[in-house]
Amino acid sequence: MSTAKVKTNPHAGLPGGRHRWRFHLSVLLLIIPIALAPKFLREEALFFGDSGLGQRELGEMAIGPWHVSVAEYMADAPIDQGLAGHMKTFAIRWNTEDAAHIKASYFKVGKPRSLRAAGVVLSGAPYRQMADVPIPQRARPDDALWLTVEGWDGTVHQVAIPLNEASPATIAWLKQRGEAQ
Amino acid sequence: MRPAKEKKKTSRLWLIVHSWLALPLWVLIFFVCLTGTIATVSQELVWLAKPEVRANRPAPDAVPLGYDAVLAAVEQAEPGIAVNSIARPVKSIFALDVFVTYPDGRTRSLYVNPYTGAIQGVGGVFDFRYFMRALHGWLLVPFVGATSWGWYLVSALSIPMLGSLVTGLLVYKKFWRGYLNPRLRLRNGARIFWGDFHRLAGIWSVPFIAIMAVTAGWFLIQQILADNSITVSTAGVPPVVAREDIPAGSGAKAPWISLDRAGELVREKFPDLSPDFVSLPGNAFSHIVVGGRGAYPLIFETANVNPYNGKVEWTRRVSDRSALELVTESMRPLHTGDFAGLWLKLVYFVFGLLLTMMVFSGMMIWLKRTAQATAKLVRDVRAERAAPSVGRAREAAE
Repeated sequence: MSTAKVKTNPHAGLPGGRHRWRFHLSVLLLIIPIALAPKFLREEALFFGDSGLGQRELGEMAIGPWHVSVAEYMADAPIDQGLAGHMKTFAIRWNTEDAAHIKASYFKVGKPRSLRAAGVVLSGAPYRQMADVPIPQRARPDDALWLTVEGWDGTVHQVAIPLNEASPATIAWLKQRGEAQ
Repeated sequence: MRPAKEKKKTSRLWLIVHSWLALPLWVLIFFVCLTGTIATVSQELVWLAKPEVRANRPAPDAVPLGYDAVLAAVEQAEPGIAVNSIARPVKSIFALDVFVTYPDGRTRSLYVNPYTGAIQGVGGVFDFRYFMRALHGWLLVPFVGATSWGWYLVSALSIPMLGSLVTGLLVYKKFWRGYLNPRLRLRNGARIFWGDFHRLAGIWSVPFIAIMAVTAGWFLIQQILADNSITVSTAGVPPVVAREDIPAGSGAKAPWISLDRAGELVREKFPDLSPDFVSLPGNAFSHIVVGGRGAYPLIFETANVNPYNGKVEWTRRVSDRSALELVTESMRPLHTGDFAGLWLKLVYFVFGLLLTMMVFSGMMIWLKRTAQATAKLVRDVRAERAAPSVGRAREAAE
């Protein structure tokens, strides 16, 4: 009868209809950055060293004639780095009076067989050196994190930190992996 | 030629696709465009807000200091501090950025006057530039390893953006006419205004939107590749300094060659590389890295200098890269527009604002159109009820 009924709806297929408000719901996605802002700022404070050397500080320890502070950078399970395997980041800080005597420091999970196999070399200013330490396939919960230090005087010193002290999160992860295998 | 009716049908289909592409996520897309626009000029905003990041010239004839003089000035001002790197921003209006570590383990950016070496200010934990970048690029979603799902969420928006660009041009019949006869009707109501704005801003932003969508699409692909341990890099593992090259210890740290010398050695070999930054060795086995822009401004070139014997032992120059890498590594500078100076940043800023407004105007068109459609529907229903006066009522309403 009336022409309006015969005409096709010019808005067919286009977004709209009775629930137009739904198209503004993406505003809810902005909750993501708002909710994560505190965590972002905490991670920035960690990055800049304002909240200490790491999330879990292991305290100062003697290694040969020198003193070093050690920390687990983030108290989480090892991170899957693809081909490089799983990694944990550890950080150290040398005492100001010792810093100039240190040639290089290395981290390794498991006892190194020689200086050449001391593990990954730590990098950064002596007051904040870090390394991504690979967690070997055969690592066990009773292993230790070994810190090997080479002085400019040619001496080499080592200290072993039991993994349950260095990173409880890694122990939990290793146990889980052991059960899965 | 296709029949006009069929042509109209496909054009309508493109309008439907165009409408659905961005509208369901319009607030997020608007937010990402807006934060990206601010991020483009965030360095300049900091320059305006903080006098200490400006490179104030003490005298008109003052010359910039070399890296050794800067290092000495910082070490003298802050005894015991460890300098990690010194960067000279592309634009000479900015102070040097000296990244340091304090003996208590805190790290900071120092703003150092390039002419006097004076520490003008210290950057805080909250870095506006990085914050805007993180807000825009991954919505502050923390990275676990090299992955952040926020990165996926944002870079996936490149798909609706590219789709909107293509379908927009398909919907806009003979869009090239808009270049010659620009039309922006201000007094014909909101629907007309936003429609004109959307089309006009759209056609002038075609290259910019294409750059943003393609580069952002690359960020998505790059992340997918990285998460699957696939790399297009030919760089390989940077070498370490050979143990034999490190002078035998006499109890004290073996001396490094000076930073200026390292810069000279690199320039001797590669005269077109401008040493814009230098990073100090992070341990006894690492190199002094000198880097900067060469003849191809989009890509940073670096050279690793052995700190004990001055040999340039490794380079990452334009010529060291594969053709594919030249394309992929150009994506980020193309996205940020930070490679040519202030003028380009302002161009990016203006087009960024236009793009942000494209999202908003698109939503406004939809809002006004559906509002009009609802009004029309109400009118039609009313008109039908008063059947005899249909014709007159319509005329009156229109």
